[in-house]
This record gives sequence, structure tokens and C-alpha cells, in this order.
Amino acid sequence: MTTTTSFPFPPTYNFPPFFTPQPNSNTRLSQLEKWSSLIQAWCRHHRQYRLSLVDAIDTPLFHNALLRKRLDLAAARDVLDWMTKSEEEGGGGRRAEWLDASTGGNAAPKSVAYIWWRRPEEWADVVADWVENTGQRGAVLTVYELIQGEATVSQDFHGMDNDVMMKTLNILVKRGKIQIFGNEGEEGVKFF
Amino acid sequence: MSRRGVGLGAFANRTQATQSYATHGANLRSTHLSSLQTQLSVFQSLLHTFALEHSSTIKSNPTFRAEFARMCNTIGVDPLAASNVKGKNSRRGLGEGGSFWTQIMGGDMNDFYFEVAVRVVELCRETRAENGGLIGVEECRNRVGVPAERYGSLTILCSYRDDILRAVRSLEPLASGFSIVRVGSKQYIRSIPKELNTDQATVLEAIQVLGFVSVSMLRLNLTWEKARAQTVIDDLVADGLVWVDAQGPEKEYWSPQNLLDDSG
Repeated sequence: MTTTTSFPFPPTYNFPPFFTPQPNSNTRLSQLEKWSSLIQAWCRHHRQYRLSLVDAIDTPLFHNALLRKRLDLAAARDVLDWMTKSEEEGGGGRRAEWLDASTGGNAAPKSVAYIWWRRPEEWADVVADWVENTGQRGAVLTVYELIQGEATVSQDFHGMDNDVMMKTLNILVKRGKIQIFGNEGEEGVKFF
Repeated sequence: MSRRGVGLGAFANRTQATQSYATHGANLRSTHLSSLQTQLSVFQSLLHTFALEHSSTIKSNPTFRAEFARMCNTIGVDPLAASNVKGKNSRRGLGEGGSFWTQIMGGDMNDFYFEVAVRVVELCRETRAENGGLIGVEECRNRVGVPAERYGSLTILCSYRDDILRAVRSLEPLASGFSIVRVGSKQYIRSIPKELNTDQATVLEAIQVLGFVSVSMLRLNLTWEKARAQTVIDDLVADGLVWVDAQGPEKEYWSPQNLLDDSG
């Protein structure tokens, strides 16, 4: 993923203690919220749907070269862990989801996570709205067309991670809005 | 001094003299009182006229508003105190219903301050985890703005600290625990009723000046014992008033005040 515009970091990013896990629990909570929104903004900016900790740990996201401060791997994992939990569990509202070993390939557990700057349910709304607004009910599209097709270039879900799109579509199936058919890797979608 | 009479008649004379002094005194007092009352009412009506005449300036110009409010305070008219509020702030002679502001501004000045107050409360609550319930008046001012169009064609922008201070003061009758504290050169709104001790205030002041502090800095600059410096800092951390940076050679403690520009 390459983007031409540089990511606008929030002022928090230039606050040195931001990179040290805070001992006070209230302060810590505030810090986790700030990290969560930073990570989401970062991924949204770079159209990134999953974050590999090992790869990201040396990027500007976790490493402020100017301040010479960094969030280390364990601390970054704690932030993502917090993001995966719901607010009822005292977490960050399920804004991340670990890929388990089976779906995440050969990587160790808790090394790659989806970052839900839009949760799959929210993506489902976006796709459903698009179908509605473009009068495509009853149409049949392949998943590839949905992600890469010319018709979706202006849409936020254009170029989306394939797995995330499948999660999104599965939600729409549950809602009875679409039907998925075809073999794995070349699925088609019919909109109702 | 009057000549002292002799003989029995002197007693009668003395009683008489005392009586006439008393009457005369009472006369003087009442004249004074009535003239003062006249002066006061004249002054109040002048103030009233002035306020009416300049109401648009008062509303639109924060400096002017602050000066006007200051003038009101000097002569003992609390612009915010409503006459139906019981207590030391209630003043007689200002008519019924609503405060001085309400009378002269037709209500929206009070609304204005209450709206500012509501925003201040919201901001304090939102940022409490971040700053431990202590927020700089300046930082608050930068974040609290009232859209001008809400008040007709007049531009009311809450751009002066005076407005913030006044709004916080308007919360006092609610026993809300919101108060203004001064640390060093800065004023803060404290939304958690907790006293800072002298040492804590000193450390916060040092952070204002230096950006951050560490235990050894406190020992060097204030010649504190290590234990004293550490205790104060631990207390500040426990209250969420400072954040720790543990990635330097020594732990550094920073004030979260400048995080506020971070409008999430």
C-alpha cells in the first residue's frame, strides 16, 4: 500500500509519555483510547485492513524517530488486545480482531490483527447502501468485481482485503440481503 | 463640647441635649441614606441604560464584556446572580425574576454563560481520565466555543478566559465541586474536589516551566530529599495529574495539559 499524502499524526504522538504504558489505571485507559484511535486512523489512511505487529513495530506508527520513543512489541500487543475486547469487557469496543493461526497463516498467535476502522457490520451497511443507491438490487456481481471493479472505484470498500469482504458479505447473507454462490476464490454475489 | 450645667436643672438639660443629639443624628443618617439610595438608584439606572445602549457591544466584544462585568463586580452587582437565588449573592432592588444580565440582555446572556458552563463540564468529564480532573483555563478556552449563529446576528464567541471563569463560577450554586485553582502562573479548572498540597503545586509549577520533571531534577532544583520528591511524584501519578515517560535514562513526568489540542 502506498499513499502519496503523509499521515497527519495527532498531537498525542509528540507527547513522550504516550509511548510508555501508564501506571495509573485511569490514565492508562485514556492512553489506550488514544492509541486505538491512532491505529484506526493510521490503517484507514493507508487503507490497511490488517496489521502485522512485527512489520508495523518499526514503522512511524509505533516508532517516533524524532522523539526517539517507541511502543515496544509487548506494549503494542497489549493495545491491540484491549482493542479486541468489547466495551462491556472494559476494552476498546472490538476495534481489532486477532487472526488465529489457521487464518493468519503460519504466524505465531497474536501477531496479526484485523483493525476495524470500520467493523464488518459497518462495512455491510456501506455495501448495502451502495447497492441500494446504485439500483443494483437483483444484480449479480463477482466478489472480484466488488473489490476491484470499475464500478466501485469511488467506494470506500474498493481494493478491500478479500477476507474482510467475505466477512462483510457473510453478514449480508445473514441479514438475508444477498446470496453467495460459486467456488471458493471465485464467488459471485446476488443482491436482493 | 457643651457647657456643663450645675444644679438639678443640669439633669434635665442633659437628657434634653442627649435627645436632641439623637434626633439630629437620626436626621443626618436618614438624609445620608436617602441621598445614597438616590445615588445608587441613579447609578444603577445609568448602568442599566449603559448596558442597554451598549448591549450589542457587550455581547460581541469579549474585552468589553469582561470590563463591564468587572465594573459590575466592583460596585457589588453580580451580573450572574439571579434575584430568586437565596443567599449572599441575591441583591435587592434589581427587580424580580432573572439576573441582571437577563434584565438588560433579554435573557440570552445568562443562556450564553450556562451554555459555556455546560460545555466546560462536558469537556472536564471527557478529559478526566486524561488529566486527572485538572484542566488549564487556556486549554479549556481553546476547546470551548459557542457557535455565533445560536445568538441571532450577534457574534458571541467564548474567546476570553473571563467567560470561562464566569461560567465556572455560575456552577457554584450547584455544589458541583468545580472550582478555579491557581498553580504558578496558570489557572486551572478543577473538576475533582481534591486539594493539591504545596509540594504537588510546586512540582506542577516546575513542569509548567520546564516541560517535564524527574526526581533528580527536583532534588537539584528544590533541594528536596529523594523520598520527598518521589512521594510527591507518586501522588501526582496516582491522581492522574502527570504521565510517565520511562524510556529515558531516568523517568520523566509530563503534564497532559497540551494533549488537549487533540480533538479526537
